[in-house]
Amino acid sequence: MHATTAPPEPGDTDVDLRGVRDARHDRLFRYALMACALLVLAALLGAAASTAWGGRLAFETFGLRFLWSEAWDAVNGDFGALVPIYGTVVTALIAMTIAVPVSFGIALFLTEVAPNWMRTPIASAIELLAGIPSIIFGMWGLFVFAPFLAEHVEPWVNDHLGAIPGVGALFQGPPLGIGMLTAGIVLAIMIIPYISSVMREVFLTVPTRLKESAYALGSTTWEVVWDIVLPYTRSAVIGGVFLGLGRALGETMAVTFVLGNAHQLSASLLMPSNSIASVIANEFTEAYTDLHRSSLIALGFLLFVVTFVVLAVAKLMLLRLARREGA
Amino acid sequence: MTDSAAASIAPATAASAPAQASAPQTPKIAVRGLDFYYHGFHALKGISLDIPTRQVTAIIGPSGCGKSTLLRVLNRIYAIYPKLEATGEVLLDGENILDPRYSLNRLRSKVGMVFQKPVPFPMSIYDNIAYGIRHHEKLGRAAMDARVERALRQAALWDEVKDKLKQNALGLSGGQQQRLCIARAIALKPEVLLLDEPTSALDPIATGRIEQLIEELKRDYTIVIVTHNMQQAARCSDHTAFMYLGELVEFDRTETIFTKPARQQTEDYITGRFG
Amino acid sequence: MAGNASLYRWRAIKNAMALGLGSLATLFGLFWLVWILGITFLRGIDALKPALFTQMTPPPGADGGLANALFGSVLMSLMALAIGAPIGICAGTWLAEYARRGKLGETIRFLNDILLSAPSIVLGLFVYTLIVAQTRQFSAIAGAIALALLVIPVVVRTTDEMLRLVPSTMREAALSLGVPQWKMVLQILLRASRAGIVTGVLLALARISGETAPLLFTALNNQYWSADVTKPMASVPVVIFQFAMSPFESWHALAWAGAFVVTLFVLALSLISRFLLARSKVTHD
Ligand SMILES: Nc1ncnc2c1ncn2[C@@H]1O[C@H](COP(=O)(O)OP(=O)(O)OP(=O)(O)O)[C@@H](O)[C@H]1O
Ligand SMILES: [Mg+2]
Repeated sequence: MHATTAPPEPGDTDVDLRGVRDARHDRLFRYALMACALLVLAALLGAAASTAWGGRLAFETFGLRFLWSEAWDAVNGDFGALVPIYGTVVTALIAMTIAVPVSFGIALFLTEVAPNWMRTPIASAIELLAGIPSIIFGMWGLFVFAPFLAEHVEPWVNDHLGAIPGVGALFQGPPLGIGMLTAGIVLAIMIIPYISSVMREVFLTVPTRLKESAYALGSTTWEVVWDIVLPYTRSAVIGGVFLGLGRALGETMAVTFVLGNAHQLSASLLMPSNSIASVIANEFTEAYTDLHRSSLIALGFLLFVVTFVVLAVAKLMLLRLARREGA
Repeated sequence: MTDSAAASIAPATAASAPAQASAPQTPKIAVRGLDFYYHGFHALKGISLDIPTRQVTAIIGPSGCGKSTLLRVLNRIYAIYPKLEATGEVLLDGENILDPRYSLNRLRSKVGMVFQKPVPFPMSIYDNIAYGIRHHEKLGRAAMDARVERALRQAALWDEVKDKLKQNALGLSGGQQQRLCIARAIALKPEVLLLDEPTSALDPIATGRIEQLIEELKRDYTIVIVTHNMQQAARCSDHTAFMYLGELVEFDRTETIFTKPARQQTEDYITGRFG
Repeated sequence: MAGNASLYRWRAIKNAMALGLGSLATLFGLFWLVWILGITFLRGIDALKPALFTQMTPPPGADGGLANALFGSVLMSLMALAIGAPIGICAGTWLAEYARRGKLGETIRFLNDILLSAPSIVLGLFVYTLIVAQTRQFSAIAGAIALALLVIPVVVRTTDEMLRLVPSTMREAALSLGVPQWKMVLQILLRASRAGIVTGVLLALARISGETAPLLFTALNNQYWSADVTKPMASVPVVIFQFAMSPFESWHALAWAGAFVVTLFVLALSLISRFLLARSKVTHD
C-alpha cells in the first residue's frame, strides 16, 4: 500500500540545482542586509566627515585659536567658539547637578520604596517626559517657566545668593527669566527620564540574594542601596549619567528658546548666553558669508566629536555591567 | 580512568552490535567513526552505528551525553551555526552526507526533524503544512489540499483541525502543536524522521497519541527518537542505543538492551542505579 | 547600650530621610510632566479652531492656520519612514541573524546606539552639506533624509531586539524543512516578530514628529502650500519655532495650537507603541 503512495522521486539533479540557486540567493540576501547595516556606519562617518569638511574654511582661517577665541563678528569675519562652548558646558553642568541626584532619587523610589502597583505607572509617566518633543519644552520654557522665574525666583536668588561673597557672582544680574540657569533647569527636566530609567533598570539587575544577605544582617534599605546596589551597578550608573550628559550637550531647540541668543561670556548664571547647538539653529540660515557658515559647521563638528566621545563612554560603561550579567 | 577504559572498549562493542542487530538489511543510515566538536569541546567521540530502514531506533542516555547532538548531525542542522565541526562519515543510502558536496536541500527533503518544544510557524494551520511543500514542489490547489490533508491525517490531527485550517496555529494545544510539527515534517515525504524528545513537553494522553502515531509511521519512515523516558523507549522502539559522555556504549535490539544488556553501565542506567 | 541605641536611631533617621527624598524626587519629576502637559493642553485647546486645518500659515500678525505645515510634516514623516524603516529593518535583521557576535556586528551595534542619541542638529548639518549645498536648493526630500537618519537607529535597535526574542528552534524547524535562509528570515522570523517591529517604526515616527533641528536647514520653511518635494516645505515644528520666537500674539496662538497637535500625536503614538511592545514581549515568553 505505502509503496504506491511513496513520493514520485524528483530527479536528484533538480534538487541539487535548487540547492545551488538557494545558496546564491542566500548570499545575495546577506550582502543586501549587510549593505544596509553598513549605512549606519556610513551615516556616522559621513556626519563626522561632512562637518569636518564643511568647517575646514574656519579651521584653516583661525587655526586652533578658533577654540578659545571669544570673537563672533559676522561683519568683520572673525569667529571663535569660546562663548558657545562655555554656554554649552555651563548649561550641561547645571543640568547634571540637578538631574543626577533627582534621577537617583526616582530610581531609589521606584525600586525600593514604591508599592508594587505604583511602580510601572510612575515609571511610564516619567518616561513620557522623554517622549515630549523638545520644541514643547522650549515653548513652555519661554512663555511660562522663564516669566515665572523672572517674577518669583530670580529676584530672591539675586537678593540672597547674590550677596554671598565668592559664589555670589554666579547669581547676580537683572532677572530676565531667560539665561543659562533657566536653560540648565529645562535641560535637567529633559534628561531626568533617560538617567532615571537606566538607573532603575540596572538597580533591578542586582541579584536578590546579595540584597537579602545584607537585609539579613539588619541593614536599612538605604544602606543596602548605598553599600550593595550602587557599588554593584557603578559602571552602568556612570553610563546612564554620561548618556544624559550626551543628550544635554546636543539638545538644540529647548535651549535655543530659553538661552537668549546673546554672544557674551558672563559669570552670572542668570545672564543670557549661547550654546553650540543654539548658535547653529539661530544663525545658520542667515549666514551670508562662507566663513560664517563654515564657522557654524565647524561648531557642529566640535559638538559631534564631543558628544560622540561622551556617548561612547556611556555605552562602554553600560556594556561592562551587561557583560558581567551575561557571564 | 574509567572513561578512557570505556573509550577503548566502546567502539568495538558498537561496531559489532549493528552487525547482529540488523544483519539481513542494509541500514538506512550508517554512522562511521563520527566525532563532533562544539568550539573545541569533544561532544561525540567515535560514534558508529547502523540505523535500520523502517524501524524505530531510540537513543537514550543521561542528560548532556550527546543525544541531541547526534540527531543534529544526521540532518546537518548544526551547520547553521559557525565553527561547529563533524568528522567521520554519515552514510545515508550509502552516500556521505557530511561531504560538503552533498546538497543540503536534498538532505533536508529526505530527513525531517521534530523538536522537543513544538514550534508552529506564525501562520495558519494549513500554511504551516503547505509552507515546506511549496518550497520543494509546485502543486495546484487541489493537489496541495490533498497533501495537507494527508499529512494531517497521518499525524492523527485531521479530525481535530479540519474545520479551522485557516486559524492561526498558535491557538492549538501543546499536544496538537507537536502533532502539527510532525505533520509538517512528514508532509515533505521524507525517508527519515528525527524526533528529539517529542513528548517531554506533553501530558500523558498527548504522549500516548504520539507514541501510537510513531507506531503507525514506522511503516513508511525510518524513525530515530531521542527520549528520557525508559518506558517510552521500551514501548515503541525496535533498537536502542545507550550513550554516555559522548560515546556510544551499547546498541542492540530493544528487548536485549532492556532485558540482558551486555554492559554494566547500561544496566545501571536502565534500572535507575546510575551515577 | 545607649551608644548602640543612638547609632540605631541615627541609621533609622538616615534611612527615612533618604527614602523621603527619593519620594520627593519622584514628585519633582511628575510635577514638571503635569505642568508642561497641562500648559500645552490648556493653551493649545484655547487656540484650536477649524481654520487650523484649512488655512495656510499667515503673514506676520495676521490670522490663519497650519494646513500647509501639517501637510508638510505628514509628507516628510512618511517619506522618512519610507526611506528609513526598510533600511533599519534590513540592518537590524543583519545584526540579529548574521552578526550576533563578531567584530563588525558589535561595532555597528555600538555605533547605532550612539547614532540613536547623537545631536539631531549635526545630522541636519550633514544632510545640508551632502544634499542642500550640492543641489543649491533647500528641499523637502533633504528634510526627509535628515529625518530618516533619526528613524534608522530606532528601527535597527528594535528589530535586532525583537528578532533575538524568536527562539532558535523556530529557525531550526524552518531550515530543517529545507527552506533557504532568506525565505526563513523573510517569511517566518520577520512575521513572528511583526508586532515588535511595527512598534519600532511607530516609536521612530513619534520621535521624528516633533523634530525641528534637522529640518531647519534642510526642508527650511514655506509660507505657502507646496507638494513639490524638491522645493522648501513647511513643517509644524519649524513653524512653531518661527512663530513662537516672533513678537506677534496671533502667531503665538498658532504656535500653541501646533504644539498641542504635535504633543497629542506623539504621546498617543508612544503610548500605543509601549502597549504593543509590552504585549509582544509577553506573548514571546
Ligand atoms: N551549542 C553548544 N555549544 C557548546 N557546547 C554544547 C552546545 N550544545 C551542546 N553542548 C554540549 O554538548 C554536550 C552534549 O549536548 P546534547 O545537547 O547533545 O546533550 P543531550 O544528550 O541531548 O542532553 P539532554 O538530554 O539534556 O537534551 C553537552 O555536554 C553540552 O553541554
Ligand atoms: Mg537534548
